[in-house]
Amino acid sequence: MLYRVRRNLPLALSVLALMVVILAPFYWIFTSSVKEPQEIIARRPTLFPQSFTFEHYDKLLYHSPFPTYLRNSLIVAIGTMIITVVLATLAAYGLYRLRFPGRQMLFRIILITYAFPGVLLLVPMYDMMSRLGLVDRLTALVIVDVTLAAPFAVWMLQAFFRTIPQELEEAAALDGATRLGIIVRILLPLAAPGVAAIAIFAFITSWTEYLFSSILIVSEANRTVPVGLAGIIGQYQVDWGLLLAGATATALPVLVLFGLVGRNFVEGLTAGAVR
Amino acid sequence: MRNTTPSTARARAWASFRSEWLSTNTLMGYAFVLPLVLWLAATILYPLLKSIQLSVLNIKFIGTPGEYVGLDNYQRALTSPYFRAALQNSAIWVVGNAVVQTVLAFAAALILKQQFVGNRIARIWIILSWVVPTVVVVIIWRWLLSASGGIVNYSLQSLGIIDQPVGFFSTGNTAFISVILINSWRWFPFNAVILLAALQRIPAELYEAASVDGANVLQKFRFITLPSLQPVLFVMGLIGTLLSFNVFDVIWLLTGGGPSRATTTLPVLIYDTAFKKYRLSQAAAMSVLTGIILLIFAALFIRFMSPASDSDER
Repeated sequence: MLYRVRRNLPLALSVLALMVVILAPFYWIFTSSVKEPQEIIARRPTLFPQSFTFEHYDKLLYHSPFPTYLRNSLIVAIGTMIITVVLATLAAYGLYRLRFPGRQMLFRIILITYAFPGVLLLVPMYDMMSRLGLVDRLTALVIVDVTLAAPFAVWMLQAFFRTIPQELEEAAALDGATRLGIIVRILLPLAAPGVAAIAIFAFITSWTEYLFSSILIVSEANRTVPVGLAGIIGQYQVDWGLLLAGATATALPVLVLFGLVGRNFVEGLTAGAVR
Repeated sequence: MRNTTPSTARARAWASFRSEWLSTNTLMGYAFVLPLVLWLAATILYPLLKSIQLSVLNIKFIGTPGEYVGLDNYQRALTSPYFRAALQNSAIWVVGNAVVQTVLAFAAALILKQQFVGNRIARIWIILSWVVPTVVVVIIWRWLLSASGGIVNYSLQSLGIIDQPVGFFSTGNTAFISVILINSWRWFPFNAVILLAALQRIPAELYEAASVDGANVLQKFRFITLPSLQPVLFVMGLIGTLLSFNVFDVIWLLTGGGPSRATTTLPVLIYDTAFKKYRLSQAAAMSVLTGIILLIFAALFIRFMSPASDSDER
């Protein structure tokens, strides 16, 4: 017994250390966001909140532009999600289920665009959007975010599309199913976990995007959450209560989505990488 | 039966070309991939070419016309101490992140590989720091490292390591180290999850056989683990470097590139030049130069680091 404990102690301690490194910072902002202002900036930080208040959330939701940011971010993220899922699923079907010359080359080109540093596109993208009259429009952000999300989404789908046996398609074709019918009735349901994973990936990519949003959006009314929150950070007197509540509220939708399909997400992530 | 004449040979070649290239599969294949390829061409290839055009003009504010100035912007960038300093900062940034993240990711992957209660959940939720928006990461660490009420300063003071609260972002070196550590905190779990998947694919028999032959832990790592991970490490090294080079928001929102440009990497410099200093064409030239530098890096990396390189195989 003692032997077992001694053997497992290093493992238990390292697991604990890993969890603390990742989770403790989150615990710290969640709990701090419900503390009274004077407790937040107290010289001696409190591990467990001594006071409890929703005033920062009240201020965030009713007396700040945060709800506007939230709405804008939601519109952009959902738009990005829909377009990415359609483009990436179509491409994945073509690349992974059909055999045709040039397939490998197309696959490589899409991979290269994933590793392509977006910052190199910053200046010409602004120029392009201003010519198209899309500066300060949420549409511009959807266009950029799809470009950022779609290549990796195609990569993630690989694992899910490759595991579906070709015989299923052939059998359905013999039964007289059309190609569209095969895709919609057989492939999509079987690849559903993968499609869910890339939908979440696209949502998160868009939800996080700061670089392009900060230059393409000009007016307060069209700001997304990252740009809006960054604006609050930059203010002369930092309102920590408000910022911590904002950070918590921003992380929350991601946590919920991740909780729903986190397993598929990680599966897609790793299966693509260690093929 | 007819003799094979040039015309029938051509007809046959055409027929095989047609059957291969114009078969339904080929047409369908391209039709399915085309929407995405067109999208990417319009949003990556076109802007890329456009930035070359912008870089030989002298546009300052966006929307104002510019005149052709040849390679002036390039000359200015290459002789500017700011550009060189940013290039150097980017190199330090990429190397620093690679070292810290590799060490942390390996440690985390080896821990997660063990059997313990809740390891399935831990293997998923570890990438929490990677899925939350960067702005949240920035707020978390600004708060933890804050000089007034920040837990890190308080802990260091309680332990007697420091007398006064430290401004982590107020001197060049501490600011640089802080942003590297914070960015590594965000990214190492992502790398850990990928390493873990690769580790799990190494057949256990290999290790068992090595044990029978009397190999120790280090030898197993050197001769089984490392070679098996080569392909993954290669991809992570190449793509990870490019992604890490591209990081902008963590640095910008934590330090703004300061203090006194100490954390200004190339992405920060390009952003600052184009949208704070309003020298658009100058920034376009910097982008093109940066692209060329990265291309050279990628070519060298592929040439010398490919897992199936000549030195290893023959």
